[in-house]
Amino acid sequence: MLAQPEVAVAANRPLLVADDIHRHFEGLHAVDGVSIDVPPGQITGLIGPNGAGKSTFLAVLAGTLPATGGTIVFDGVDITRQSAFRRARRGIVRTFQLPSEFARLTVLENLLVAAPDNRGDSLVGALLGKRYWIEDERRHTRVARELLARFGMSAKESDYAGNMSGGQKRLIEIMRALMLKPRLLLLDEPMSGVHPKIVLEIQRYLQDLRAEGLTILMVEHELHMVERLCDSVVVMAQGKVIGSGTMASLRRQREIVDAYLVG
Amino acid sequence: MDLYVAAFGFGLVGMSVIAIAAVGFTMQFGITNMINLAYGEVMISSAYVAYYVNKAGVTIWVGMIAGALFGAVFSFLLNRFVYAPFQRKGTSHIGMVIVSLAVSLMIANLLLPIVGYYSVSYQDTTGGLLRAGGIVLTTNQIAIIGVAVVLMLLIHGLLRYTRLGKAMRATAANPTLARNCGIPTQRVIDAVWLITGALCGLAGVVAAMNSDSFAISNGAGFLITALAAAVLGGAGQPYGAMIGAVIIGLVTELSAAAWAPEYKEVVAFGILVLVMVLRPQGLLAKRGALAAAG
Amino acid sequence: MNSYYAANLLVYAGVDIIALLALNLQFGVSGIVNFSFIVFQAVGAYAAAILSMPPDYAQGYDFQVYVGGYQLPFPIPWLGGAVAGGLLAIPVGLVVLRKLRSDYQAIALLVLSIITNEVITNARPFLNGAAGLALVPPPFSDVIDPNTETYQYFYVAMTAICVVLVFVVVNRIVNSPYGRSLRAMRERELAAMAIGKNPVQLKMTVFIVGGVIAGLSGAILVGFIQLWAPSVWLYPETIILFAAIIVGGRGNNVGAILGALLVPVGFEEVTRFIPSSFGPPGLIPALQWVAIGLLIIGFLWFRPEGVRPEPRHVFEGAPVREDLEDARAT
Repeated sequence: MLAQPEVAVAANRPLLVADDIHRHFEGLHAVDGVSIDVPPGQITGLIGPNGAGKSTFLAVLAGTLPATGGTIVFDGVDITRQSAFRRARRGIVRTFQLPSEFARLTVLENLLVAAPDNRGDSLVGALLGKRYWIEDERRHTRVARELLARFGMSAKESDYAGNMSGGQKRLIEIMRALMLKPRLLLLDEPMSGVHPKIVLEIQRYLQDLRAEGLTILMVEHELHMVERLCDSVVVMAQGKVIGSGTMASLRRQREIVDAYLVG
Repeated sequence: MDLYVAAFGFGLVGMSVIAIAAVGFTMQFGITNMINLAYGEVMISSAYVAYYVNKAGVTIWVGMIAGALFGAVFSFLLNRFVYAPFQRKGTSHIGMVIVSLAVSLMIANLLLPIVGYYSVSYQDTTGGLLRAGGIVLTTNQIAIIGVAVVLMLLIHGLLRYTRLGKAMRATAANPTLARNCGIPTQRVIDAVWLITGALCGLAGVVAAMNSDSFAISNGAGFLITALAAAVLGGAGQPYGAMIGAVIIGLVTELSAAAWAPEYKEVVAFGILVLVMVLRPQGLLAKRGALAAAG
Repeated sequence: MNSYYAANLLVYAGVDIIALLALNLQFGVSGIVNFSFIVFQAVGAYAAAILSMPPDYAQGYDFQVYVGGYQLPFPIPWLGGAVAGGLLAIPVGLVVLRKLRSDYQAIALLVLSIITNEVITNARPFLNGAAGLALVPPPFSDVIDPNTETYQYFYVAMTAICVVLVFVVVNRIVNSPYGRSLRAMRERELAAMAIGKNPVQLKMTVFIVGGVIAGLSGAILVGFIQLWAPSVWLYPETIILFAAIIVGGRGNNVGAILGALLVPVGFEEVTRFIPSSFGPPGLIPALQWVAIGLLIIGFLWFRPEGVRPEPRHVFEGAPVREDLEDARAT
């Protein structure tokens, strides 16, 4: 029903391989040689202290920021030079740290606008008139409404997304991303500023999505959340990877604990 | 060849005029985040203030002071009563641009019935040409160069060595942080508008001095040249604006000598477009300066 | 002559509506601050003129100097005007729309408008410089005498047909999934890219389509007033159109039409009744501009969404709620 991603050929092969990614801007090395493998069908956490470069790295993976060095291979294809929208069309969809809803579109429209394969989503298609694209529109509306129901926001479908609360905006962004049937979901602090009750809901949804085969890479601060959700974790500090593995194994590594983990 | 040497001399004057204008413009943008499209109209208004002072029999140099004072007060009030309220309201960048455009339209058209459509010029108090190795300039033009140099040094001194200057730089880099560090950003911004307004007024007067005649319609051209120099140097960078002024002043005068004088602004525009396309952050890029869309 | 007054009013209204539908598509819906809009109308007018006029030497030596002069019959001048508008949009769009942030785009386009006017004014052999083109033959002038009342109404009818055509086209674009993508891009370009939208392609398309419609509006206007000079298309003319969009309401076609009727048309008509001897010469036009500025600032302060705000899109089968709020707009 929702995300039907093509599973990677071999369950062992990472869905995304980032190799020696650098991103510097005006002398600041936000990302200083980061290499990670993102395994398919799992939730991978990306943690680290403030300023470690996690969000920048995510932006580079998504294509929002160009890498100044390194390569990114997604399901066997080198996407390093591809722009953000092309990566989105390939199935790499990101959410943003700050709320990025389309404020003056309704909640339902926020989801509909993300639906690919709409015959009315081109100049020619639009000019051909409503009858040409109404079927696609109806189909996407059904899917969007199912999503809204699943995430408990059906009543809000005609409200402006800009009027929603912080937690609701996060949900909208996640649902919007799901409309694209992504293969890799890049979440940038999805729980930040969200009411604890909704945090639990989002957590449940992410687990459901993982069960359906979606791959997720998630920047997150809340370590309890990371512990509960993530199959494995990558730790960054000062633009570099200082460790990776399960939370349990990381706790055993003294340097990491000292650098970052508390308790 | 003589033509080009002479053009070089005119370029020296041109760059002086543009530098005064561009530094003011870029500081307004750098510190208050305001692209003040009414800048050209304030320049021309100040030029007219000086004109009326001059007509009353006073030397144009006093008129220049009058123009600077007028520019300072006018710009300050403009920010106080128009720009700042809109900014506080949360108006988008582009909304502020539209507001400043509307203001520029209003200034020009409020002045027109008062000063008329026809061109005017200042009464030249000193005559005298000075020649040096092929460069021919009037004493007024030499004085303009001198004024510009002094002003640039003053601005440099202000930014580098005074508390206000440091507060300005801090506010430009990060206004919230500056405020949290105890810098009275509101007063800094007021000071910025007064100082840059004075530069704006001064620039208008010297620009008018440097032309045979001027009218309200010159306001747009003044804006374009100041804008081009500011963008070329890196928006918000005063030293960049100085460099930009040097380049634009020279290039426009040399091209005027090479082709046609009436296309000077076209050349400035061409440079502006080139910069925007090839290196939008300008020559002296810095954090907070403009880069790609987003 | 009352009928000439009425025809004049209606044709101008039609042209303004067409222009504003285009500008609304670019600015209101897609967020492109096209401060050079008037140039596209001008290029359409010039193109229509030089396509329909006789060669310049035929009118007497050095009376008017211009390129072209192909004396082509209707509908070629109008089509040519539309095409010219679209063609101009290509290089301008490619340079300006690709990498600049929105306020830089706006400034570059504004300066383009100022400079283009200057260049055309100074380059006399191209389009007859400051004097502009006169004696532009109106469409079908060889069949119907343009000075008759019949012709006036005929012109109004042709304009009306174009208005309907443009409205249908723009309406289909705006009220479609494509229009929704445009609005998403306007709201938050980075997020739009994150869901697969290509902003450069979207902007270029809208810029070109808007250019075509603007060019058509110019062709219609020049066929009616039979002359066209740089003084007609100075850069502040675009500002009037922006005022109309801000007043009428952004992002929706009804708002654009409303704006057209309130600002360029309504404004002109209201001030028409003030005797022109009031104050020094040129006072009335100057005060009109001041009023336009006040209108823009006033609306941006008190009612930025305009008289008729962008309507909310509610889909069939939506749950009913009483307390739906209106759009906050900036």
